Amino acid sequence: MKYSLFRFRKSTPAILPVTLLASSLSLPAFSQDQQQRLDQMEERLNTMQKQMTESALEKVRFNGFFSTGYTRATNDAGYDDATEQSDLQTLSLFGLQGTFALGRNTDAVLQLVSRGNEDWDTELEWGYLRHQFRTGTEVRAGKMRLPLFMESETLEIGYGQTWARPPEAVYDPVPVRSYLGGDLAHTFNFDSSSLQTRLFAGHLDDEADSLGTVVDVELRNLNGLTANWTNYLWTFRGVYARAESSVGSVGGPVDLGQDEKAEFMGLGLSYDDGAWLLMSELTRIEVDGEFQDTDSAYITVGRRISEVTPYLTASWIESQDNYERDGTPLEVLDVRRQAYSLGFRWDMMPSVAMKFDWTHARGFSSTTGGLTGNQQKVLNGNPGDVSDTTDLYTIRLDAAF
Amino acid sequence: MRILSRKVPGRLTLALATLMMLSPIASAELVIIVHPGGPDSITRQQVRDIYLNRSSQMPDGQRAVAFELAPGNSMRDEFNDLITERSDAWLKAFWSRQVLTGKGQPPTEMSSASGMKSVVSSTLGAIGYLDSTLVDDSVKVALTPQP
Repeated sequence: MKYSLFRFRKSTPAILPVTLLASSLSLPAFSQDQQQRLDQMEERLNTMQKQMTESALEKVRFNGFFSTGYTRATNDAGYDDATEQSDLQTLSLFGLQGTFALGRNTDAVLQLVSRGNEDWDTELEWGYLRHQFRTGTEVRAGKMRLPLFMESETLEIGYGQTWARPPEAVYDPVPVRSYLGGDLAHTFNFDSSSLQTRLFAGHLDDEADSLGTVVDVELRNLNGLTANWTNYLWTFRGVYARAESSVGSVGGPVDLGQDEKAEFMGLGLSYDDGAWLLMSELTRIEVDGEFQDTDSAYITVGRRISEVTPYLTASWIESQDNYERDGTPLEVLDVRRQAYSLGFRWDMMPSVAMKFDWTHARGFSSTTGGLTGNQQKVLNGNPGDVSDTTDLYTIRLDAAF
Repeated sequence: MRILSRKVPGRLTLALATLMMLSPIASAELVIIVHPGGPDSITRQQVRDIYLNRSSQMPDGQRAVAFELAPGNSMRDEFNDLITERSDAWLKAFWSRQVLTGKGQPPTEMSSASGMKSVVSSTLGAIGYLDSTLVDDSVKVALTPQP
């Protein structure tokens, strides 16, 4: 790099006058050979400019992502909080990520996200320091995404995903996203595969919507590990995490338990050969107290046909501890639900994708299906109004830049 | 008439000669080029690994600096057909995920073949690709991928 910079710097004063001189001369008088040389010089100037911009960019780099969309449901069951009169806010978000190089192998990463359903208040979603050792080990400290799912790191980056939204059965039961702490990851590179292991520990204090109110969620002594193996065609993932969980507050409108033992287990599988794609995750949440213990899973199959990727998803969730809420108002948290999605992603132009999705949810049994609208109806004393199926139509626009 | 009949074979010969001269250009093929101080050869798999962010090293241990041509260039399509085996849409989504999760940066895009040649010739660890007819000794051809 030093060599190339030196070379360009040396040739800068020479190129500029020549280019200026050349442009002031009448071009037809130039022989083809001279014209070619001029083109080459121009190219070199372009290259030099690019390299200068790049070296400036290497210190600070900004990337962003944007989503907006429209969702409409056939009733007010509340799947993904959608109703018959949905607005554009729920799927809309804007994210800006800055990476600041502090040294050759150290950087600071900030991610700011404004969400339409949070009145566009800007939130620091990520803010961490990272150091990468040459041995393949990486340490990070700060505010980071909780690595529970295969798509955790790209959770809000719609452009990076095939779906209109991550399957709710698996992605929604954990009502929080990012924690404060540190992690240590090591990547083992084999011949044509790699294994990444990550240990993480920290603390999480956030708010979440539950039963129509905003409740505090705290995960203390949070720690866990993930393992991710891939041969760049198949990927297998395993995760285990535990914490002491407090959801809601004693004496508050909602109290789903304080300092309860909480565990999370997950297995993931994906396949992507450029044409076919397959993704599946199986997760289990076990929390002492009233917070729901759920088992859930999904499977997605898609096929890329030039710019269009049709996909099918089937998902399922079921609470395993209904007896703990028996006879209490918290019975509305019992959940059983299957959902089927049929949709497609259309890569309409570079860095912009549009998605169309139809999701049908059913099989709630005697539960609310874990849907917010249904829960409200029961809590308001109208259990007869609970919907036992719902259909959801989504159009979504995603961009990354 | 006599003048014409004499000229026709002449024109034909000229046309044939031109065709023969042009034929190597017509069979232009994709070549993988590296910095003149770079490795003498590289395998298709090694090139693929670098361009799909699976490896950041050249076969000689040098840190790889990858360059690609802009969308719409026929050599880019050829490269994606022969080496990455991925569509532009797939690569766009893939790199946005890599960038936003801090896993790496996409190859630097060069707007022209001559830009590609000059940047590869002047950057240590550089790797790129070109139409074989545009190669000169400012860069080293490390692989001619066969379909």
